[in-house]
Amino acid sequence: MASPADSLAIDARALCRTFGAVRAVDGVDLEVRRGAVFGLLGPDGAGKSTLIRMLATVLSPGSGDAFVFGDSVVHAHRRVTPRIGYMSQRFSMYPDLTVDENLEFFARIRGVPTAQRRVRAASLLESMGLAEFADRQAQHLSGGMKQKLMLASTLMHEPDLLLLDEPTTGVDPVSRREFWRIIGDLRAAEKTVLVATPYMDEAERCTDIAFMESGRIPHRGTPDEVKALVPGTLFELTAPDPRAALAALSDAPGVTSAHLYGDVVRVLSAPHGPDADALLGTVRAAGVAASEVRPAHVDMEAAFAFLAEQRGEDS
Amino acid sequence: MNAKRIRLLIWKEFLQLRRDPLLLRLLFLMPVLQLVMMGYVVGADVKNLSTAVVDLDHSVVSRRLAASFASSGYFVITARPAEESALRPLLDRGDVKVALVIPEGTSRRLSAGGSVPVGIVVDGSDSRIASVGGGYASQLIAAFNAKLIAEQGLTVSGPGIDARVRVEFNPSLRAVNSMIPGLIATILVLSMSVIMSQAVVRERERGTLEQMFVTPISRGDYLVGKLTPYVLIGIVQMSIVAFIGRVWFQVPFNGQLWVVVLGLFLFMLTTVALGLLISLVSHTRQQAQQTVMFIMIPFMVLSGFIFPVASMPPAIVPITYLIPLRYAVDFLRGTFVKGAGVRELAVPLLAMAGFAAALLGFAVASFHKRLSD
Amino acid sequence: MIAAALSRIGAIARKEFIHIGRDPRMLIAVLVVPVMQLLLFSYAISFDVKNVPTVVLDQDMTSASRAYLQTYRSTDFFNVKGSIDGLASIDDVFRRNLAQIAVVVPAGFGRSLARSEKAQVAVIVDGTEPNAAQLGQAYAIALNQVYGNRVLAEWGDRQGIDIAQAGRLEPRVRTWYNPERRSADFLIPGLMVVIIMIVTVQQTAVTLVRERDLGTQEQMMVSPLRLPELMIAKLLPWTFLAFVDMVVIAIVGIGFFGIPLRGSVVFLAVAAALFVFAALGMGLIISALAPSMESANIIALLIAFLPAFILSGFAFPLESIPPFLQGVSYLFPARYMIIISRGVFLKGAGFAELWPQLALLGGYSVLVVVIASVLYGRRAAR
Repeated sequence: MASPADSLAIDARALCRTFGAVRAVDGVDLEVRRGAVFGLLGPDGAGKSTLIRMLATVLSPGSGDAFVFGDSVVHAHRRVTPRIGYMSQRFSMYPDLTVDENLEFFARIRGVPTAQRRVRAASLLESMGLAEFADRQAQHLSGGMKQKLMLASTLMHEPDLLLLDEPTTGVDPVSRREFWRIIGDLRAAEKTVLVATPYMDEAERCTDIAFMESGRIPHRGTPDEVKALVPGTLFELTAPDPRAALAALSDAPGVTSAHLYGDVVRVLSAPHGPDADALLGTVRAAGVAASEVRPAHVDMEAAFAFLAEQRGEDS
Repeated sequence: MNAKRIRLLIWKEFLQLRRDPLLLRLLFLMPVLQLVMMGYVVGADVKNLSTAVVDLDHSVVSRRLAASFASSGYFVITARPAEESALRPLLDRGDVKVALVIPEGTSRRLSAGGSVPVGIVVDGSDSRIASVGGGYASQLIAAFNAKLIAEQGLTVSGPGIDARVRVEFNPSLRAVNSMIPGLIATILVLSMSVIMSQAVVRERERGTLEQMFVTPISRGDYLVGKLTPYVLIGIVQMSIVAFIGRVWFQVPFNGQLWVVVLGLFLFMLTTVALGLLISLVSHTRQQAQQTVMFIMIPFMVLSGFIFPVASMPPAIVPITYLIPLRYAVDFLRGTFVKGAGVRELAVPLLAMAGFAAALLGFAVASFHKRLSD
Repeated sequence: MIAAALSRIGAIARKEFIHIGRDPRMLIAVLVVPVMQLLLFSYAISFDVKNVPTVVLDQDMTSASRAYLQTYRSTDFFNVKGSIDGLASIDDVFRRNLAQIAVVVPAGFGRSLARSEKAQVAVIVDGTEPNAAQLGQAYAIALNQVYGNRVLAEWGDRQGIDIAQAGRLEPRVRTWYNPERRSADFLIPGLMVVIIMIVTVQQTAVTLVRERDLGTQEQMMVSPLRLPELMIAKLLPWTFLAFVDMVVIAIVGIGFFGIPLRGSVVFLAVAAALFVFAALGMGLIISALAPSMESANIIALLIAFLPAFILSGFAFPLESIPPFLQGVSYLFPARYMIIISRGVFLKGAGFAELWPQLALLGGYSVLVVVIASVLYGRRAAR
């Protein structure tokens, strides 16, 4: 087989991994371009963590292989690891060591030279707003700060590829925004980032995304490409009794799908299906009061919901 | 207290234990292995000591004396140096532990009716061997003397002492018979306290303990539910260990079965309570471990299992009364070797019952306070 | 390459020191408590059998019998607690553990002596503690012989008869290396080793499990860190601390208890360093194998504790045990260290005599790093 093209940060082929009877990753192919911010989306148990851990060389594939910057994770993991940074889903630093001590330790293990350690640590802590907590023990940090600490640690040796496993889960919205700002900075510096996340809104910020479900990747592409997979128009209907409205619309002709989104009903109308007025009419005809109907942009969440439903119908 | 909830807790505990096969193996296999291995060591009688004989007399008497040593079973003659100076390197290297030096002119002096000093050299760097070996040697010589006198036909008509010395209980003086019972108790207290303490502290560390108290499960329920599986396991463990100890090493059992069962049961309650108490005063598994270790070392040293209490300085003896293992050792030796019954063993039995009650009481009391922090 | 490895080892060692420093309770427990225990137990333990509880039964009640029984009271060995009522009480007293020896003077004792005949006495010894029983027998026989000879000699003097003594042998027991026969000198060098052995194995028994539990193991896997480096780095801080412990304990032993130090201190120090490294290594192997922290703790205690006391040669001689067990005893570093410790302290031995044990300790240390690496590598299987 020809050596994979150099423009790919990750080239994974037919990766599989089983735990007992469970097929966590079931034949996954993945290509991640250099400089991409690649979002790996999917629910809990989809296999995202397992996939990332295989790419990080922390877990060995049951079958298949992945090439990170051209080196195999199965056969050449010692060439892969210096170029990657891996941030696990759970907190994996020493709780009784301070922020500074944790950074220092993992950087030294990685072989970052002393002089650069100081400089980078200082600038990373500064840019993440952790500088004043440098002497605090990691166990006394809040959830968001812990994640930022882990991210800082993965950046100390300036890797070309970052593998982040749900870095913003359980983190407050402010910190989440800051996180993505940092990821944006990384992209500007031409680093490649692969992020697993359950948050659909974060997917919007990625250059490429892939949905993962039950160990497989059924849909992938840029956000726009994925959204384009959804045919028809999306409307949002506000009503005092959203459930009743939903019931009225679910089986209406020309309606591909409808579901609750907060206290609003999102209706996906098929191509050439009912428009806003028609929808209002359907609802009122069922004796349910409705306030208004607005067209909406298909966002990731809607696309994901639609595609999942479709798969459910197909199977 | 609610019997149904207690049963539920017991079921959960067994379920968890079953999921950890290593632990099960530890619980039952290791004590048996340790019993067998350690049993051989603690039960080894001091005999077959490698001995050197320096015979400077070369007479019939001296050869007979050497022969009596050789045939005693305590000494094995492995060297016959020609001179006393040759002894030094032998003892330095540890090639021999004992040396018999029969001086020149022994036979002559004996027939003349005098006394002859016979040298016995013992390697003092192993004081157990030294004292026992010296004792054997002196006894052998005393017996040899008696034979000599009888042969010489000199019935000294005059006053004297005719001493009959006999051994009551364990007449074979096998160390095994006395050490195995003590070893059983030691193994029991070690394994039960460490297992018990780790089990409870683990829940504490994991936070599942807290979870339990927002359920209707009361603290009493929890304690009973937690203790019972381990008490049951302890009963099984001690039965296996006691049985194997008795059978494998052929340790005679002169007592009554129900007495032994009672005593072992009380002791086992004590060990489980001890483990529980340790876990309640520890916040982490590591702390519990340190505590267990630092309690067990005095147990080993001061319980009378290895070192006789009678030989301890008077200031230390009161401390030994605080060590539950001491009573267990006394009790087991009493019932296995001496066939003692409940009446004679009242003191150790009551002491063990007292300990069990006190430790359990402390545990219950501190359970209410400790777990709020 | 070496420099990078050393840097990584240094980073981990430094981290371990920080962990230790942040938990002062444990530090005190590990450094101070062994010393305290050594102090207490060295004072307490001894194999010297003495003060054996004894009871007497004087069925004669004459001045002769009282004089005879008095000799028992005046020895170190027999600790006469009191009298009993009758022969039937002997078993009872033994069973209650109130005494281990009973001396019975039957009626007619004084009369026999007055009639220049041999007087009978009986000494019953409880065989439950064979050592005490053996010595009890020997002492009783010796005491009676001496008393008998004295009585005979006095009678001979009074009668003006020259006793034609039968020739007899008199044992003169000389103890080498430990002339005062203080078992303390023998036991304390061993006790030091036993306590350190038990304490050290516990320290490293959870360390690798902890890395796994914390999740930091993964981060180390994606670094250039090699497993043997990890093992060595984990062992070094505790080696240092345990070594300090041993030094303190040795000083206490020599200062407080007057244990002689006749051999080479340097040799002892080198051996001690290797010994603690090896013992810690045992703990490390446990932590590489154990699936959880509590299993690690349980295994560590059960593996280290009894063998340290019993299989190391500390209190029980190992000459006459089955060869298989002899082999097992060599699995524990304490075995080698006790030989070295006693040799250096008491026999003035040094490198020339004890190099085999030192070599074995060295080999053990290397083996331990290798085994721990292999086992941990397999357990952390990717």
